Amino acid sequence: MKIEHKLVLSNVINGAFLILIGFFAFQNMNLVLTKLRFVEIADDLNASFLEMRLSEKNFFLYHDKKALNEIREKISGTMKSLDAAKKDIIPAIGEADLQKLESNLKAYSDAIGETEATGHPFQELESKIRAAGRKLSEYSDSITQLERKRVNDIIMSSKRILIFSFWAILASALLIGHFISQKIVQSLREIEKMTKSISEGNFHPLDGVRPRDELGSVITAINSMSEELAHREEQILQSKKLASLGILTAGVAHEITNPLNNISMIAQTYAELYDKLGEKDRIEFMGKVDAETERIRQIVKNLLDFSKPKDANPKEEDINSVIHKTLTLVQNMIDVSNIDTMVNLTDGLPHVFVDAHQIQQVLVNLVTNAVQAMPNGGRLFIASRPGKGGDSVEITVMDTGRGIPPEFLPHIFDPFFSTKGEGGTGLGLSVSYGIIKNHRGEIRVESKVGVGTTFTVEIPAHYKNKEINNE
Amino acid sequence: MSNYRIMVIDDEKIVGDMAKLSLEQDGYLVETFLNAEPALARLKEEKFHVVVTDYKMKGIDGMEVLRTVKKQYPGTTVIMITAFANLDAAIEALRGDVHDFFPKPVKIKELKESIRRALAKTSAA
Repeated sequence: MKIEHKLVLSNVINGAFLILIGFFAFQNMNLVLTKLRFVEIADDLNASFLEMRLSEKNFFLYHDKKALNEIREKISGTMKSLDAAKKDIIPAIGEADLQKLESNLKAYSDAIGETEATGHPFQELESKIRAAGRKLSEYSDSITQLERKRVNDIIMSSKRILIFSFWAILASALLIGHFISQKIVQSLREIEKMTKSISEGNFHPLDGVRPRDELGSVITAINSMSEELAHREEQILQSKKLASLGILTAGVAHEITNPLNNISMIAQTYAELYDKLGEKDRIEFMGKVDAETERIRQIVKNLLDFSKPKDANPKEEDINSVIHKTLTLVQNMIDVSNIDTMVNLTDGLPHVFVDAHQIQQVLVNLVTNAVQAMPNGGRLFIASRPGKGGDSVEITVMDTGRGIPPEFLPHIFDPFFSTKGEGGTGLGLSVSYGIIKNHRGEIRVESKVGVGTTFTVEIPAHYKNKEINNE
Repeated sequence: MSNYRIMVIDDEKIVGDMAKLSLEQDGYLVETFLNAEPALARLKEEKFHVVVTDYKMKGIDGMEVLRTVKKQYPGTTVIMITAFANLDAAIEALRGDVHDFFPKPVKIKELKESIRRALAKTSAA
């Protein structure tokens, strides 16, 4: 469910709660009003009943017939008002209580009627009237009291329910809010984790169940970005290779010039001495030309091999042979830069499972950087040795160049970071970093300004039973 | 025009071989070396009129040969050849009083012409 929908739903639930409570409060209010209306009527009735009892007392004391008339008038008035207020009384006390009240009133009225017929009160009749009157007023009183109590109860329970509802709504709002924000934070963390791996150069699509909400869309977007980045990384790899190629070309041009010169000199001498040369000499001359052509072919092949875009093809390799291959590419560049090379390769190193071509690219890049760091010549050390843990191999490329200032060191593997001004793309080391990382390896740097820089590449050893997944 | 001694120093064996073959046709005495150390040692034993040296070599390079020869054997002409044709190298060589500077591939006729001029100069002097 989308976060938007969740929020709407939580609001709807809380809103429904509020409406329900409002409706309940409204109902209670109506009930209280009805009861109060009855209490009002009951008070009037009670007053009438009291007046009746007063007249009744007068009659007994003074035997005044007028008092009986008064009572009769009061009874009929009360009957009328009871009848008129029926629709207010029934909802409050129910029909049964009303009927009982009416029957009590009737009994009182009958007792009065009987007294009237006989003309004067007897002892027996007197007590009958008194009993009916007492019963009437007591019953009326008790109903009124009961209703007062009920009103009180209703108000109290409304109060309780309102307080309870307040807490319930507060709790539900907090709970739902917390749940939703928890979900959002959790997903954001997930995305943060995923994007972190992307920032480290792992352009793998994010796996797992994709939530069907906004975060799912974000993940989809990140995945397509990842794909695009992986695609771009390939392009950068290739363009960086072409950039190294430019630097290598200067060395290679020199390398090609020598066999070219040899062929040219053989041809000139051959023409000059043609008549003096025997058949054997001529064949020997041409054999030399052929050998020199082969030299050129090798140089060109090496260069083409390096420049061609290639799919990663990891194989079990001896790291020293990869280093040797690299040296043939860079040796001339090193020579023309007035740099002495010292190569110290350890024999019998464990094999590595690498794409030789990519590792070669990293080494060419490191050597190129070293050469560029030593414009006035210097010394370049290239070495291989077992890694510290014993289950890896280490290659070091060390120069005696100008070094990297400490404030730049943390950034040198960042894309587009360059200290070479317009001369650098700032991609060489970031591409190298990406390649080594893809090989589950590590690339480290140590540098001291004015002393030199050492790059160390560590690649895990390859054991036949343990396939190293290279993507 | 005989008895002129010419030394060729180049780490490419074919350069020495071909130069020797061709220059001997003109009657020069030619000795070739693949690097500078034995060549400089040989100079101590024998006077050479012309030294043709490669610019870029392992160990002692062409510039050092030029400086040593100019210092110790001022009468000897130095001609430099190089596969690494750059202006800085040429200027540096000319400052070191090189007689001529040829980028590879070398035209043997031009090289011979340069040698002839150098020898004419020295014999005139």
